[in-house]
Amino acid sequence: MDQILQLLWLVPVLPLIASVILVSRPGWSRRRAHSVAIGALGFSGIISLLAFMKTLGADPATTAREVVTVTWFQMGVAPLQIGWVLDPLTAVMLTMVTFVGTLIFIFSTGYMASDERYRLFFAYLSLFAAAMLGMIISNSLLLLFICWELVGVASYLLIGFWAHKPSAAAAAKKAFITTRIGDIGFFIGMLWLASSSGSLLFFDNGSGCLEENALGLLGSQVTILGLALSTAISLLILWGAMGKSGQFPLHVWLPDAMEGPTPVSALIHAATMVAAGVFLMARLYPLMAAGATGTDDAFPVTGALIATTFVGSITALLGALIAVAQTDIKRILAYSTVSQLGYMMMGLGTGGPAVAMFHLITHAFFKALLFLGAGSVIHGCHDVQDIRRMGGLKGAMPVTFATYAIGMLALAGFPLLFAGFWSKDAILHSTHTWSVSHLPYWIGLIGAFLTAFYMTRQMFYVFFGGNRLNESEAESHPVPPPHESPAVMTWPLIILAAGAVLLGFIGTPAFPWFQGYIDRAPSTLSLSALFESGTLSVMILSSLVGLGGIGLAYLFYRPIAFRPNQQVDPLQRRLPRFFDLATHRFWIDELYDKTIVAAVGALALVSDLIDRKIVHRIVECVRRAVQGIAWVTRFTDEHLVNGAFDRSCDGFRWGARQGARLQSGQTQRYLKIVGSSLVGLVLVLIWISRS
Amino acid sequence: MTPVDYSRLLLLLAPEMILVITALAVLAADLIWARDLKDRNRHTIAFSITLFGSLAAVASLMMGTPDPAGATQWLTLGGATTTVKIGLIALTLSALAISTRSPLTSHIGELYLLTLLATVGMLFMASANHLLLAFIALELVSLSFYILVALYRHHKPAAEGALRYFLLGGVSAGFTLFGLSFIYGATGSMAFDQISQQLDGSPPSPLLIVGMVALVIGFGFKIAAVPMHLWAPDAYQAAAPPVGALIASASKLASFYLFARIWTVVLADVAGRGADSSLSAGWLILLAILAAASLILGNVAAIAQTSLKRLLAYSAIAHAGYILIGLMGEQADGIAAVIYYLVTYGLAIVGAFALVLLVEGSDGSDQITAFAGFHRRYPLESFCLLIFILSLAGIPPLAGFFGKFYLFAAALKSGLASNLLFALVVLAVAMSAVSLYYYLKVLKQAYVVPSPNTARRRSDPVLRVVVILMAIGVVALGCFPDILVGDLVADLK
Repeated sequence: MDQILQLLWLVPVLPLIASVILVSRPGWSRRRAHSVAIGALGFSGIISLLAFMKTLGADPATTAREVVTVTWFQMGVAPLQIGWVLDPLTAVMLTMVTFVGTLIFIFSTGYMASDERYRLFFAYLSLFAAAMLGMIISNSLLLLFICWELVGVASYLLIGFWAHKPSAAAAAKKAFITTRIGDIGFFIGMLWLASSSGSLLFFDNGSGCLEENALGLLGSQVTILGLALSTAISLLILWGAMGKSGQFPLHVWLPDAMEGPTPVSALIHAATMVAAGVFLMARLYPLMAAGATGTDDAFPVTGALIATTFVGSITALLGALIAVAQTDIKRILAYSTVSQLGYMMMGLGTGGPAVAMFHLITHAFFKALLFLGAGSVIHGCHDVQDIRRMGGLKGAMPVTFATYAIGMLALAGFPLLFAGFWSKDAILHSTHTWSVSHLPYWIGLIGAFLTAFYMTRQMFYVFFGGNRLNESEAESHPVPPPHESPAVMTWPLIILAAGAVLLGFIGTPAFPWFQGYIDRAPSTLSLSALFESGTLSVMILSSLVGLGGIGLAYLFYRPIAFRPNQQVDPLQRRLPRFFDLATHRFWIDELYDKTIVAAVGALALVSDLIDRKIVHRIVECVRRAVQGIAWVTRFTDEHLVNGAFDRSCDGFRWGARQGARLQSGQTQRYLKIVGSSLVGLVLVLIWISRS
Repeated sequence: MTPVDYSRLLLLLAPEMILVITALAVLAADLIWARDLKDRNRHTIAFSITLFGSLAAVASLMMGTPDPAGATQWLTLGGATTTVKIGLIALTLSALAISTRSPLTSHIGELYLLTLLATVGMLFMASANHLLLAFIALELVSLSFYILVALYRHHKPAAEGALRYFLLGGVSAGFTLFGLSFIYGATGSMAFDQISQQLDGSPPSPLLIVGMVALVIGFGFKIAAVPMHLWAPDAYQAAAPPVGALIASASKLASFYLFARIWTVVLADVAGRGADSSLSAGWLILLAILAAASLILGNVAAIAQTSLKRLLAYSAIAHAGYILIGLMGEQADGIAAVIYYLVTYGLAIVGAFALVLLVEGSDGSDQITAFAGFHRRYPLESFCLLIFILSLAGIPPLAGFFGKFYLFAAALKSGLASNLLFALVVLAVAMSAVSLYYYLKVLKQAYVVPSPNTARRRSDPVLRVVVILMAIGVVALGCFPDILVGDLVADLK
């Protein structure tokens, strides 16, 4: 099985090749184009699965983490090395991304069937997959950063795929710029880490920057503000992860990113890319935890981890609050994603990478399911996205309804049966036992309540009651009735739904296999662990909270289903102030517009003035000077050199009239120059050696 | 002098022998069987034989080096020399591949014979460990090239250009010989290692100075460094694009490698090479003058060119300046950088000449303006042009960037006469900024300038394959420079 490690580079390279082929072959048929893209990703998936199996059989102590290092190029004494790593974290993430990705690719063949730039869409999707997979296997901070940026570029291209819509173009720009703001932190952190640990490789037989030697050093050094060096670097990298993973205050781009085609939202803005920040934190967890105080704790506590936890908590609550009042089916899911990413960060801060990764994986399944379901709904409703205009789709779209319900129950944390319950429970459990503060725990519970509430609200609006597609007076021509999506779109839904149920059972408290796998510790089956007091109370409380949310929403929104002309949201009637605030997303976008965007705009204006009035003048001067030199050179060449030579050559020419008539005379001039330079150079050398 | 064992010598020179046999086989096949066929088929036959022979030669090079004991005073084998030889054969082959699609001449057998003989000469240049052998090899290459330039009979200026090239080349050969005889006079030997033993680190005598300068002049001609550059623009323009590609790529690699060996092996112990950093006297200042003059003149004069071939000629002069800086770095790093630079430069320049051939063939012009609308007519080829030009300009991550980077790093690291080299590197960096101007002028024509002539066309598959291969080479060597440089540094150390 060792070949798998050596072949791991193929996982990102295959989709990359597919992407290049698709871009350079615009004439291909659609069928051929999507076959290439799906085939490449599917093959990557097979390799990933083999790699996953290899890590399953690996001995936790010795072979669970293996690296391959290649020298990119030698610069001075220090070779710049890049490489890849195979460990449980990589393997499980690769398997998830390729599996969910393949399903989403298949779904896209149906969803994008009528788009003119079909091939380009698959080229971009493949590019995205390549960058994402490259990021996952990377064993070098530099390679990871390159892929991280490529992921951003691919996301930019895909959000703006329908660039003819101004809102899509603006959303693409917003996403790119906002994540770039985060990347600055990541970049500085990377440089700092590289310069203080002397290595960009994560794991390198003891000399990598995430191994004990370097960590000990980083954890013990103190830098500005009294922070440990490792904490300072971790905070910078956290900033980068916050940008990519849509954490408050950099979350504003993610809901706007829903302007992209829905499969893109499912792949990038639910399952994979936004999870990249969480993945990065999980990968760098040793750094986050370096220099932890009090080793008797179950989980280390450091400044960076505390910051991560609170950023996650705020985001989890904020996202859930906003989602309650949204009316666009995709935006609700987008804020829900923001909120769930907050949970992952919370889990990472309090319970380590295993907890966060568990929720990441289950979330990828049920959120991809929900997004694809939303895509199916939008497809069936002829591109209507407003849930107030839907309703009654239960009958028209039975498969979509059933699978969407599973996704919704998983997200809402319906007890015992669904994956989301177990993974969210793991997070709540670890926040419960966190030694610093209980605040995240209570926030988590409130968030869980809100999640159940807004998802149930959405279900009632979309699937129950009568259909409201043609009720709006503004609509001049009637929209045809909704229809179920083709099989190529429903089958991925069914497969994902199965995952959204079953995946939970790999990480229940009774059998925490997943946690053991990620942490590389053996795990055993013990049903009694379910009934330990701490575990059980958290489980019961979170079940009650989830059920409470569902029940409250049932009371509020069930009438909607039977009273089609309901114009005002029931929640709006009861809490008008809060609803207004949430509808406007707490005015955060507007705040940014008025402050940061305005400041940057002013700065741009000033820079533009400086550029035009001062820099331009300087450049102009240089240009004139160079032009002048060129002109002088030409002038001397044409008039002085030629002239002088012509005259001085006259004598020579006279003697060689015959040759001069045959040749242009230039050759002689050439020879003369050569001869005189010989004499000149000899004289120079002799003169220097004498002096 | 011990008697030479000729059977051993044949074994040592197996790649060269294979190429000579191939050359004769091509000529025979062409004259006996292929005379009455169409030109294109004759090319196919001749090129197939050449390809086979060249691959055999490369294979014999790769199989390892026999022990050159007994012939060391004549030959150097193995290590970096093998790499250079493989590079030479590869560049020649790619130039020949384009010439199969060029209306260069109807003397097809002769074309291949001469090219292959020139290649043999270049291989000997790479292997030479003796001044006389080096000179003969140099002459074999030069004489073949004069005829190759003149072969382009469809092109009126070819004969004139060839004659001028010949006259200047003849004179430079005279200078080389003159220099060699002075060095022989000063040291009493012609073998590289014996000469270097004779030089004991004292300041050079006037005799040696004259010899060195004459040698620089002779070599300066081959590498087109100012002030011996004057033939280059005329010859480049007069020659058919494939021949131009050969002169610009393979011949440069061989000449620079020989030049570097003479300078680092033969004259290593002449005082004033800068080790005392006082510039008392010696070759460092000589090369510095050449490098600075080439950089300035090449880059500035290129701005005014309207013909792409002449532009490439002036840019070649400028590149000679960059390479001379690396040569002054002088240790293993510097030589490795020079080889890397020349190989990648060769790839880009062969590709560029192939595109010149494409445009010359369809529009009958080598003017830069003929490239207007190129990216609409040939999108893929146009993208390759972008790669070649940007690599020549030294834009990362293409090979040209790392080439310059290694050259400058080697020069700065060497610790010789650091002020002088630093000033030169600064000049070179400034000049490469200037060079962007004329390089981008070409790209502007290809991508921006509108042209009525935008119908999509298909280029010849052979040309396309060559161009794509060269582009892949440039990108691959740019992304992974270590596959070439790592081995070279190890070999040279």
